[in-house]
Amino acid sequence: MSSGYWLTNVTLETGYQMENDAITGTKTKQNHLFIQDGKIEKILPALESIKDNLPQKDAKGLLALPSFVEKHCHLDKTLLGDRWRSVTSVNSIFKRLEIEKKVLPNLETTTQERAEKLLNNYLTTGVTHVRTHVDIYPEVGLKNLVEVKKALQTFDGKLSHEIVAFPQHGLLRSNAKHLVREALRQGVNYVGGVDPATVDGDIETSLHQMVELAVEGNAGIDLHLHDADYLGVYTMKKLAQLTKEAGLQDKVAISHAFGLGDIPLSQVEEIAETLADAGITIITSVPINRKFPPIGLLREKGVATAIGCDNIFDVWSPFGNGDILERAGRLAEVSGWVDERSLSQTLSFITDDKAPLDPHGKQVWPRVGDDASIVFVEASCSAEAVARRAKRVTTIYKGEVVSGSLGLHEK
Amino acid sequence: MAGKTYWLTNVRLETGYQYEKGLVTGTDTEQFHVRIENGTIKEIVSVDKPLITDLPIKDANNFLMLPSFRDMHIHLDKTYYSGPWKAPTIPSKGIITRLEEEEELLPRQLPVAAERAKNLLDLLLRAGSTHIRTHCNVDPIIGLNNLEATLQAMEAYKGKASVEVVAFPQHGILRSQSVSLVREALQNGASLVGGVDPASLDGNIEKSLQTVMELAVEANANIDLHIHDPGHLGIFTFKRLAALTEEAGWQGKVTISHALALADISFEEVTEVAEILAHQGISITSSVPIGKTIPIPLLQKKGVNVSLGDDSITDHWSPFGKGDSLEKAGMLAERFSLSDERSLGQTLGYITGGITPLNTEGEQIWPKVGDHADFVFVDTSCSAEAVARRASRIAVFYKGNLVVGAL
Repeated sequence: MSSGYWLTNVTLETGYQMENDAITGTKTKQNHLFIQDGKIEKILPALESIKDNLPQKDAKGLLALPSFVEKHCHLDKTLLGDRWRSVTSVNSIFKRLEIEKKVLPNLETTTQERAEKLLNNYLTTGVTHVRTHVDIYPEVGLKNLVEVKKALQTFDGKLSHEIVAFPQHGLLRSNAKHLVREALRQGVNYVGGVDPATVDGDIETSLHQMVELAVEGNAGIDLHLHDADYLGVYTMKKLAQLTKEAGLQDKVAISHAFGLGDIPLSQVEEIAETLADAGITIITSVPINRKFPPIGLLREKGVATAIGCDNIFDVWSPFGNGDILERAGRLAEVSGWVDERSLSQTLSFITDDKAPLDPHGKQVWPRVGDDASIVFVEASCSAEAVARRAKRVTTIYKGEVVSGSLGLHEK
Repeated sequence: MAGKTYWLTNVRLETGYQYEKGLVTGTDTEQFHVRIENGTIKEIVSVDKPLITDLPIKDANNFLMLPSFRDMHIHLDKTYYSGPWKAPTIPSKGIITRLEEEEELLPRQLPVAAERAKNLLDLLLRAGSTHIRTHCNVDPIIGLNNLEATLQAMEAYKGKASVEVVAFPQHGILRSQSVSLVREALQNGASLVGGVDPASLDGNIEKSLQTVMELAVEANANIDLHIHDPGHLGIFTFKRLAALTEEAGWQGKVTISHALALADISFEEVTEVAEILAHQGISITSSVPIGKTIPIPLLQKKGVNVSLGDDSITDHWSPFGKGDSLEKAGMLAERFSLSDERSLGQTLGYITGGITPLNTEGEQIWPKVGDHADFVFVDTSCSAEAVARRASRIAVFYKGNLVVGAL
């Protein structure tokens, strides 16, 4: 057990300001937090003086937010750190796959280097947990996985991660089952997949194999599903059914789920019940070039939802900067969430549901016993942080400063 | 510093496209020395030739030079920027809620309006914008006070950026009986006639448009109208505006801001309306709202001049807005999947008044001797990368003078 330290003068949100029954702002107070063994062990009002001689780090009134979660990225695909290249126009996903297969192995930088560049970017923007998909297909085998694991090793103790074994070229189409199985044996946590209809050409067999692999490897599932409208929705329903049959509730996610963006809201409500019942999470990158699921409605209906950046400068897209807070602001903007409460609650899409205030304004974070994973931002409240893309000053993961700095006052 | 002559050395300029199998795959650049005199580019020479000169030298360190940006729609006078955070309320009565808020808000904000306008100008300038069009409230609540605050801020940035002011009757030129105020504004520093939703706000499309047109002709001023009215209501308004533009001979002098109705109609109808607008030289300015975007590339393809603006930068209308035109261009590219080298590079034209270093054929068309020395140095390899990756700005020049950053 370590002796711990104090984070002093930390601004925490304490409630909403009300005027004539309307929320007009967010109330905050300064506190001292005692951090020990990676946890927040005490929370004192800043007016009380600290009576011990343990080290203190002064947050100087900066706002503390729970550190962020990046729920969908591809550490093995980013070109960050390599030279600029735009995207070659193609008319099918299969041509894109061929391009990627050729480009990535021939770059001057290594997969590990580029992944580390992106991971560093995450730390500086406040992310301390990353879910990454890693390409698994016959030509590349488990090479990308090995490289990504090396990069994650470099960041050991700075952020946590989950890896999805992603048969990008189709679980069936590229006959990748044994490779995914091998990846699971090597500690990968999720079985991935992509478009059982348009890529694999056999929805049922594709989904069955994924579920089988997940059960066998005691893993979860995170499926890329771009398939449109009712094709996508059928696939979701089928996956929900298989999830329940296999007892995989709360371990399955559908990334993108574009189909939900194509159908009437009344039908989304219906399928939301099915998804919530099967404990399936919907993850979106908030694309602006196409319709995407009505995330607010899904959440209202009890479906777990999260945001991921997805493409961050790769052969698929020249855009994306890996700033998940910016992506949350985009969700708010595109959804028309402009008032104090809506903006502040948007934070929960990038914090595993840990917004400092619940929708009623009750303080729910931080609590004594919570992991000391915190990002300090230059903002007066969560709502401002989301709308204004607040500057990130310091990131703390389980009590350790992993990016930026705080004044350390040894006593 | 007028009359000042100097060399900018080691300037990276785009010189052409790289091709592979007939496809543009990259952008070629080379280094040049550029001589600036009286705010104008006077000479461009390759770095291959040794530079023998007694003139002062500023080393551009191989940074890429791009034409400086234009933010063609902003409200300098109403921003919360640099003040305390405040989220917008939930507008239970739509735009009317916002207008009611202004009755209390604008007088309360007036003491800090000039200061915030200056801070916002500073933000825009740091992002590389040296030309700004601001819509300034002119209405019975605030009279010409916001105009005065805006002019004060402009005065502080004189020589650093050009700012044009639209006299903007936010509460409806008819609805708030602001004709004489707009006229007065035009005599006191505003150079364009503004307006907003002749149908839903003024309740009289024809009279509203005619009033605007008369004011413009009388003051020999250009026009820039906010039109949010949706669907065929908006389209009808555009068509009437086009007809009045033709009657008045005001071709090339009229802009529609937002023009949201264009997001509501079919491809065929957009094409038809675009031809009408292009024929009358009516421009469109969009803030690229990501929830509802008008078909900008299609409009441009049909000959309509489209510019981008930031619009609200945190105010009682919207908490968003970053004041970065290059980010806005990147948003436009992402919104319309403009991902290849040429499309990305050409997207720059939306924020530069149409100026791009290369034309679509890859011929170098900027900078040329005689061009204004308004440019921005960015840390990037080419225009396409600048747009897609939101390149960091190193230095901004206006009329040959370094106005932001350092070289």
